[in-house]
Amino acid sequence: MKFAIALYSPAHAPSSRRALLFAQAALAAGHEIVRLFFYQDGVHSASSAVVTPQDELDVPAQWREFVTTHQLDGVVCIAAALRRGVLNEAEARRYSRTAASVAAPWELSGLGQLHDAVQEADRLICFGGP
Amino acid sequence: MSTLHVLSHSPFADSRLSTCLRVLGGEDAILLCGDATYALNASTAARQALEARADGLKLFVLDEDATARSIELPDWVKAVDYPGFVELSVHYDKVNTWL
Amino acid sequence: MAKSLLIISRQAPWSGPSAREALDIALAGGAFDLPLGMLFLDDGVLQLLPSQNARALQQKDLTANLQALEMFGVEDLFACSTSLAERGMSPDALNVEPLNVLQDEEIAALIDRYDQVITI
Repeated sequence: MKFAIALYSPAHAPSSRRALLFAQAALAAGHEIVRLFFYQDGVHSASSAVVTPQDELDVPAQWREFVTTHQLDGVVCIAAALRRGVLNEAEARRYSRTAASVAAPWELSGLGQLHDAVQEADRLICFGGP
Repeated sequence: MSTLHVLSHSPFADSRLSTCLRVLGGEDAILLCGDATYALNASTAARQALEARADGLKLFVLDEDATARSIELPDWVKAVDYPGFVELSVHYDKVNTWL
Repeated sequence: MAKSLLIISRQAPWSGPSAREALDIALAGGAFDLPLGMLFLDDGVLQLLPSQNARALQQKDLTANLQALEMFGVEDLFACSTSLAERGMSPDALNVEPLNVLQDEEIAALIDRYDQVITI
């Protein structure tokens, strides 16, 4: 089956790790992930600026590694990201902000990408909250 | 058509579980994960509400969340791991996560 | 044939960005001519209260966007009757129309009619 996975919570929320483990299990079972779409506070799960204490699980790093290893399409909603101060280099330059906090493998794009994924996938599964 | 409803909020200060139970379809299932697992705490209205539906409603819990909280599972709830969670999402026609 | 999506909006208009961001999903989908429906449930029905004054909170007025849904091709709008009653709201005095007010069992049937659902 083809899955579209949408994440609405930041890296420190249990649901971010849960989404990652689900995504890993989906691939392990032979399914395909059409796109990962990070919306609302999910944009923070794509942050390259998060500093995790040494003795804790580095969820943003694990997401990055997962997307890179499997060459997945990892999209962060640009409107949700800007509103939350999650900018890539191009947007940081555009809006004269001092910091960029999202980088490859994540791409900033619009809600059209969520709809596109919903159309292409057999299953949409969302993660958020605790 | 059947929907797998996924809940992760604690039921005690939140209306997601009670609303979900109100609008549930006859073929639907619920997966409790995260803090929604506390709905299975003994002697709670939440657990009673779930038990009352146990005949028709298929109820699942994510095993890591039940283990973390040392919640004793009644026989009308089935624990699943992540591969099991994936299987559920394939088996049901769609997944409705109560974000 | 395009897959249909039901967006269930459960948050009050200014409890955070959820009401707005649920609406954005609907408007984006409408712009792409996708078959969408929107259900207001629990505190989501509070978005339908008439005479809102978002300016008093220096917030954007969601009402205009809600009323624009039809223009964007999102015509299937629903509200939960129980949620309205719980909040002292009359189905006859809502700020968006046309809108179908549904009983609980009709909501189960509604969810079944759509291919996918997002409850935000």
